[in-house]
Amino acid sequence: MRVRLDEDACTGHGRCYALAPDVFAPDDRGHCLVLVDDVPPELEAQARAGEANCPERAISVEA
Amino acid sequence: MGYGGNAPDAGSNGTLEDLADFRPFLMPEIVKEPQPVYERLRAEAPVLETPVGVVLSRHDDVMYALRHPELFASDMDAVHLGNERPLIPLQIDPPDHLRYRKILDPLFAPREINRLDGEVRALTNSLIDTFVDTGEVEYASAVAVPLPCTVFLALMGLPQDELAYFLSLKDGIIRPEGGFGTEECRDAQRATGRAIYDYFEQAVADRRAHPRDDLITRFTVAEADGDRLSDDEILDICFLFIMAGLDTVTASLGCSMAYLAQHPAARAALVDDPALVPGAVEELLRWEGVVPGSARMCAQDTEINGTPIKKGTPVHLLIASANLDPQEFPDPDLVDFARSGNRHLAFGGGVHRCLGSHLARLELRVALEEWHRRIPEYAIAPGSEPVYITGLRAVEHLPLVFPRGGR
Repeated sequence: MRVRLDEDACTGHGRCYALAPDVFAPDDRGHCLVLVDDVPPELEAQARAGEANCPERAISVEA
Repeated sequence: MGYGGNAPDAGSNGTLEDLADFRPFLMPEIVKEPQPVYERLRAEAPVLETPVGVVLSRHDDVMYALRHPELFASDMDAVHLGNERPLIPLQIDPPDHLRYRKILDPLFAPREINRLDGEVRALTNSLIDTFVDTGEVEYASAVAVPLPCTVFLALMGLPQDELAYFLSLKDGIIRPEGGFGTEECRDAQRATGRAIYDYFEQAVADRRAHPRDDLITRFTVAEADGDRLSDDEILDICFLFIMAGLDTVTASLGCSMAYLAQHPAARAALVDDPALVPGAVEELLRWEGVVPGSARMCAQDTEINGTPIKKGTPVHLLIASANLDPQEFPDPDLVDFARSGNRHLAFGGGVHRCLGSHLARLELRVALEEWHRRIPEYAIAPGSEPVYITGLRAVEHLPLVFPRGGR
């Protein structure tokens, strides 16, 4: 699974790193940083939670 | 796991005979239960023209407008709050907006805000201490109103004994005498505005001379790309903070506790598993619709869903309705603390996403955690019911009873 972030769409809601702290982290402004582009199976649920809870639809995951 | 959304005694409330009579503020006749009216708007009139502007009620349309500030401007024409200069950063659009958010975002980012957890917890407990032994409390005046204000004072480095003064300043702007739109109201807002500016002018001068570990000091030294805030800009930000950061949390606390007091299974779930609290905070933000909408001004002729909107038309983004749209939220009327996807827009979206969202979330989470830890069993006082008021959707009167001592 791969995670893609649209940096221009992210405005720092912070839902991703609150719900999926092993896949996403905040930068200094509280915007999203992707920690693992290639998501190992044990973190796939976290990556999906990040996608499903991003109000800006800035995160997409591809199997 | 989920709970019914509607108030147990809902019935006659939440009605509006003719959608053409809908106005984009919380009308008194629907404030107790606005959700059914939003449902009709989305289904029957998703782009509704009213005498005071166009109302958008679907999630996709609201999101589109939030993400296109070049079409739907958030400037001084969009919101009237008695200020003479633009409210920073709310009434500044891109590209200038980015300059302020680059400086301010780090100060309000989760990493910075979550350092306040212990202090917010202590302030919450000191409020609970004042009534826990009596077995009854009016939640709005005892917790929902004072908590955000005490947190604000702590964050800004201002003395807690000025709580009453700050509450009066806030009400002078948000609930002015005479009601909105009157000359009396504008005079009252201007006078209060000057008092707020005078107060913070002294505080800023003091922090420049004697820096401390507080937010006002951080405003004076924060920089991005070598750029800093001027004193006037800091005052504008403090002014917006009072208007945007106090009543919103008060209203969210009151609506959340009113929901839980009327839904015992939901309350019991939080008591049994405090790890559900963060999800409950998000779901109640989505469901309760405390901030009904966000105002914009159409900046270029455009269209939404085939409906033309002319430049200069006020456009009201009905966030509380977007958060109940079945196209985005399966079973939108089910209140589910473990909802697997929750893209609610309670804090807005796009570049103007609420700067204080992480502080609000911290206050809501800690207030629910501490209350349920200390007072797990509670109910609406027999013979009374929550009193909802308009403006923001808030609970003005919420009498609760519980075992003396809490448990």
